[in-house]
Amino acid sequence: MTDTPEQNAPAELVTSPAPNPIWTRLSVIWLVPLLALAITLGVAWKSYADRGVLIEIDFADATGLHPGETPLKFREVEVGKVETVGFSPDLKSVRVKIRVDKDVAHFIDSEARFWLVRPQVSAQGISRLDTVLSGTFVEGYWDAEPKGEAKLFNGLDKPPITPDPTKGTRVELRAEDAGGLVEGAPVLFRGVTVGRIQNLRLNASDSGVIVDAFIDAPHDKRLTTATRFWDTSGVSVSLGPSGVSLDVRSLASLVQGGIEFDTFATGGSFIQNGFPFRLYPTVEAARGSIFGNDIAEPARYTLLFDDAVQGIERGTKVQFRGVEAGEVSDISIKVETDAQGNRFAQQQIVIALSPERLGLARGSDAQSVTDFLEGEVATGLRARVAGVGILGTTLIIELTDVPDVPNATMNLTNQPYPTIPTTRPKDNDLATSAQGVFKRIDALPIEELMNSAIRALDGVAAVAESEETRAVPGELAGLLEQLRTLTEELNKGGAAEKTLAAIDGVTEAASSVLVEFDGLNETLDSLDKAAQAAAEIPMADIGAKVDGILGDIRAMLGSEGADRLPKALSATLEQSAALLEELRAGGAAEKLNATLVAAQDAASAIGDASDRLPALTAKLESLVTTAEKLVASYGERSAFNAEVLDTMREMRRATAAFGSLARMIERNPRAFILGR
Amino acid sequence: MTVLTARDAGLVGCTRCGRVWPEGTAECGRCGARLHPVDGRGLQRVWAWWLAGLIFYIPANLTPMLRTATLTGHQENTILGGVVELVAHGSYFVAAIVFLASIVIPISKFLAIAYLALSVGNERRAGAHPHLHLYEVVEFIGRWSMIDVFVVAILSALVQLGTVASIHPGPAAASFALSVALTMLSAQSFDPRLIWRGPARTTGP
Repeated sequence: MTDTPEQNAPAELVTSPAPNPIWTRLSVIWLVPLLALAITLGVAWKSYADRGVLIEIDFADATGLHPGETPLKFREVEVGKVETVGFSPDLKSVRVKIRVDKDVAHFIDSEARFWLVRPQVSAQGISRLDTVLSGTFVEGYWDAEPKGEAKLFNGLDKPPITPDPTKGTRVELRAEDAGGLVEGAPVLFRGVTVGRIQNLRLNASDSGVIVDAFIDAPHDKRLTTATRFWDTSGVSVSLGPSGVSLDVRSLASLVQGGIEFDTFATGGSFIQNGFPFRLYPTVEAARGSIFGNDIAEPARYTLLFDDAVQGIERGTKVQFRGVEAGEVSDISIKVETDAQGNRFAQQQIVIALSPERLGLARGSDAQSVTDFLEGEVATGLRARVAGVGILGTTLIIELTDVPDVPNATMNLTNQPYPTIPTTRPKDNDLATSAQGVFKRIDALPIEELMNSAIRALDGVAAVAESEETRAVPGELAGLLEQLRTLTEELNKGGAAEKTLAAIDGVTEAASSVLVEFDGLNETLDSLDKAAQAAAEIPMADIGAKVDGILGDIRAMLGSEGADRLPKALSATLEQSAALLEELRAGGAAEKLNATLVAAQDAASAIGDASDRLPALTAKLESLVTTAEKLVASYGERSAFNAEVLDTMREMRRATAAFGSLARMIERNPRAFILGR
Repeated sequence: MTVLTARDAGLVGCTRCGRVWPEGTAECGRCGARLHPVDGRGLQRVWAWWLAGLIFYIPANLTPMLRTATLTGHQENTILGGVVELVAHGSYFVAAIVFLASIVIPISKFLAIAYLALSVGNERRAGAHPHLHLYEVVEFIGRWSMIDVFVVAILSALVQLGTVASIHPGPAAASFALSVALTMLSAQSFDPRLIWRGPARTTGP
C-alpha cells in the first residue's frame, strides 16, 4: 500500500449520490396497499353499481312497512327493499320508495302490480300466517316481457287472487244476479277446486252481473266453447223416491258460493282469454239450456194474447216449428184502450229466442233475428199456446205456420220488445181438449153435487111419500075395481052418454094440468126476462130483486107447481072414481072400450104436458146460468154473491128435483099414474 | 444519557438471537439467520402494510358487521351502530369493550405505528425508551383487536336457529379482520432497532 490518500492528495473527489430513482428504492410491498385499495374500491363500486333502481308505489296505508327492512318480493324471492315511506304530494296516499334489484328492475313495466301481503282470515282459511312473524312485505308481479320501465305505481288494495295471469285462463261469466257469490269463491270441476272468481261487477245496463273466473292451468284446457258454468252456491236439498238428499259442495262454497263447470257436449273449440260464458243458476238449467253460451243478449219479443193464458210461466219453452228455440222470460198484463175508449187487458208474454236455434249464425244480433222473423210472419208464422205431453199438461209457446190467418205484421215499435202476432190456441187439439176435460172434472163441485143429488132424491121421496101420491095408486086400484064392476054392469046395460061425459071430464082434467104447465112456462119466461132485466139494472137493486125473484121461484116450485100436481091428479082421479061410481050406478058397459081409449088419451095428454118439463128445466138452467154470469161479473166472495150462490144452488137443486120428476113422467107416464 | 448503538459500534445485531457481528456479515454465525442492516428500507414495508390496513379499515366501519335475523325481522349493524345499540339497551360494559376493541385500539394502533415510523431518525436518543415501550404495547395489543371478529365468528357459528334467530357475518367482518391482520404485519415489519437510529453521530462521542 504505497498510495495513501494523505500523501498524494489527489484532486478533490467529486462525489455525488448515485442516481437512485424513487422506483428503484420502492419495495414490492407497496403492491399490498395497492391491492387493498383496488379491492376496496372494486367492492364499493360494485355495490354502488348494483344498487338497483328506485321505484315508487302508492298505497292507501303503510301498515307494517318499515323503511330499510320491509322487502319487496317477487314469487316469494326478495328482490328489493323499502327505502323510505313518505306521502304522495296530495297526502292522500302513502308513497313507498323501493330499491329494486337491478337484474329484475328492467322487467318492471307499467303492467306490474304491487300489493301488500298481510295475514288474511277468510272463508277459505287463514293465509299468509307467516307474515305475522316475518312482518308485512310488498309483493309484486310482472311478466317477463320488458315494455319500458315505469317508476310510479299504484298499489292494489288487496292481493290479486291469481297473480300470474299466464298460468291459466280467465273467462267472463254473465249471470242474472250474483246469488251467493263472493270474490274468491272457488271454481270447481267435478268437485275439485281449479280456479277462483274475482272482480264481481254489474254489467253496463245493470241487468245482470259479470264475474271473472280464473281457471288455473292445466285445468283450463278443459274449457271449450261448449263448456257450461253453473252456480253451486249454498245447499241443495232434493226430495226423491230414495229419500231426501242434501248436497253441499264444500264448506267454502257454502259460505262464499261457488261455480262449477263441465262440458256436456262435444264439438266446442278452444277458447281465448276473456271468453264470455253464461252462468246458469243450477246444473239442470246448464244442462238443459238451449241458449248455449250466446254472447249477445238473446233476441226478445213480446206476444200479446187476448185470452187468459194459464199454465205459462217464466221458463216455459218456446218452440220454433217444433224445435226448442227459446223460453218465456217474463209475463205481465198490458192494459190497452181500443178505438171506442174501452179498456181491455192483454196477457203480455216476453220470449227470448236463440238465433242459433232459428237457423241463424251464432251471435246474430237482435236486428237480424227480427228481420228473419218479419219474413216468416209475412208467410203465416204466428205464435200460439200449445200443450205438449201425453195429457197436454205441459204448455209451450209455439211459433209455427198457421194456415188461414188474417194478415198481420210485427209491431217493431212496441216497447219494450217488438211483437210477434199471435193466434188462438189449437182448439181441436186432442191434448187441449183432454186438458179441458181434466180441468172440468177438476172443477166439478163433487161434494155439492152429491149433496144436491141427495136432496133431490129426498125431494122425490117426499113427493112420492106424500099422502096424495100414495093415494094415487090406491085410488087407481079402486078405480080399476070399479071399472071391472062397471064392465060387468055394462054388460047388463049401456051408459054411453055418461061414459063420454066421463071422458070429457078426464080430458078436461088433463087440459087443466096442461094449462097449469103453460102457466108455469109463462112464469119462467117472465122470470127469464126479469133475470135479463136484472142483468141490466143497476147493481144496487139487483140483490133485492134477484132475491125476490128467487123467492117467487122457490115459492112457485114449492107450492103451486110441484106440490099441486099430485093433488090435481088426485082430484082428477077422485072425479074419475066418482064418475065411475056414477057409471056403475047408471051402467054404461058398452062404452067401456071408448072410455079406456079416452083414459089413455088423457094419460098421453099428461105425458105431453110432462114433455114440456125438460124444456122448463132447461129454461131454469139457463136462468141460473144467466144469474151466475151476473154474479160472476159482480166479483167474487162478496156477501151478496155468497147469498146468491146459495140461492142458485137451491134453485138448481129444485130444478134437478123437478127435472128428475119430469124425466120419470116422461119415461113412463103410466108409472106415475100406476105408481111404478 | 447517551446510548451506544450496535450501529454506532460498527456492528450489526442478529434479530433472532441477539448476537452482534461485525458490519457486513451476511449470516449469524450462531443461529444461521440472515443479518439485516438497520436501514430505512424496512420502513417502506411498515408503511405499505399500514396503508393497506387503513384502506380495509374504512369499509370495516361503513358496512354491516352483523346480520341478525330474528322472528321479528332482521337487522344489520355496523360496528359503531352495534355499540350505539348496546348503549341504548343499557349494556354499557359490553359496549365499552366493543368500543375499545373495535374502535379505540385499531385507531390507536394506526396512530402509534405512524408516529413510530415518522419519528425514525428524529428521536433523541434519550427519549427512545418510551418509543420502545410504545412499540411493545402496540405489538402486544394488536391481536386483541380481533376480539370483535371472534365475537362475530362465534355468534355466527352458535346462533343458527333457523327462523327464530340467526346471525351472519357482514362484509365488515372480513374487512375488519384484514385490517387488523395488516396492521399487525405492519407493526411486525417495524424494526425496533430503528428507534435507536437517531442522529447518533452528532451526539455521540
